[in-house]
Amino acid sequence: MKMRCCFQRSFCSASSSLVPVQLPSPMETHFWYVLPDQVKSVSLLNQYMGLLSPIEKENVLSMPGHQLQKRALLARALVRTTIARYQINGHVDPRSLKFKKNIHGKPEVVWQSEDGWCQPHLHFNISHSSSMIACGVTSNSRIGIDVEEKQRKIKNNILAFARRYFSLHEIEYLSSISDSEVQHQEFIKLWTLKEAYVKALGKGFSAAPFKTFTIHVKTDYKRSFVLAEDLLFEASEIMVESLNDPKSLTSSWQFALLELVGSHYAAICMEKDKSIKVGMKVPVRLTAWKTIPFVEDECVSGTDAVIPIGGLIKL
Amino acid sequence: MASIAGASISMTSFSSSLKLTTQTSSIGISSLRSVSLPISGRSFPSLRLKKDASRFRVSCAAKPETLDKVCEIVRNQLALAPDAVVNGESKFVALGADSLDTVEIVMGLEEEFGISVEEETAQSIVSVQDAADLIEKLLEKK
Repeated sequence: MKMRCCFQRSFCSASSSLVPVQLPSPMETHFWYVLPDQVKSVSLLNQYMGLLSPIEKENVLSMPGHQLQKRALLARALVRTTIARYQINGHVDPRSLKFKKNIHGKPEVVWQSEDGWCQPHLHFNISHSSSMIACGVTSNSRIGIDVEEKQRKIKNNILAFARRYFSLHEIEYLSSISDSEVQHQEFIKLWTLKEAYVKALGKGFSAAPFKTFTIHVKTDYKRSFVLAEDLLFEASEIMVESLNDPKSLTSSWQFALLELVGSHYAAICMEKDKSIKVGMKVPVRLTAWKTIPFVEDECVSGTDAVIPIGGLIKL
Repeated sequence: MASIAGASISMTSFSSSLKLTTQTSSIGISSLRSVSLPISGRSFPSLRLKKDASRFRVSCAAKPETLDKVCEIVRNQLALAPDAVVNGESKFVALGADSLDTVEIVMGLEEEFGISVEEETAQSIVSVQDAADLIEKLLEKK
């Protein structure tokens, strides 16, 4: 079951290297995360700083306070080192990667190739909470991710918040939950799923204000079973319905909801492969790594660190 | 000077070769994008003046009390340290706010000022000044 996973510990020397990884296959997501509390070495942080572009460095250093700077630094270091692992177009050095924002502000990689006709289709998206920074990667499929601490405090009354920002169906769902702790958890889960969808769309918040779409979670069944080498989790069926355009391409989006290291919810939204017929249920294949770039990569999908709690997920 | 000093202090854990960059970036506030001055102690005071000048220009749009109230709400939502600098130029993202924080801040402002902010407008609020200006605009309409 864990044959695809391997625990690699490589201690860095002056010429630190990243363990290369093959690109994800269709309908597969690679999920990389780093826990800032585990990164304490000043020399390592300096090494990460050395990977950044001048503008990125400026942005990091302009954050007020050490914790925020460290978080910003780790976010950029995670993105650069993660993409560099896939060694696309010979890009092995994280420093050599160039980024831009699309017209809506979504960050993308700028691939420089001589002929220009072979553009890699690597997609990525990052998210962070105060105690986790994550990066999701796919091939040929738009992706959005969001991570939130399960215990994150919501200053406003949850239902007041939902009435203000969520769709009618979602408000009804949250209102039906009597236990305040469960309501809080379901709120956070819903928020991460909605955020992940908007980020996957990559058209900015105004293209899909939260009130204009509903996340439906069908929990008629909940089972997991072993299929050959893989674990298949059918935690629930998660779908998105656009209220402006109910028949639109919402069926082309796939969701996965995870509980990470017992403390976080992570939502992944990715575009279904074009070859999949409408209505076909295809699981999201997921491989997750906990990483300290240049120091240690640990494959955690299939362990307690990554628990599928929503969607159709294959580990 | 407080904001510059703050940035310097936070940088001592990084290697000292980055100190110069620190000072560069702490001056390189987004509102001063067109300014590029050599880094030396002497240039700090004049930069400071420029910073205040731009603040003066912009705060004509929002009353100081409004701005202070917005700063307070932002501080509470983001649970910032008492010595963290929050002023008109502060961008929410630069203060460590994520999208959920921004939405909560807007809700807090709506409650405090008795206004209603459209969803699309809420997401376009990037800095404390943006929020204060929007509040003044909405209050005028009432």
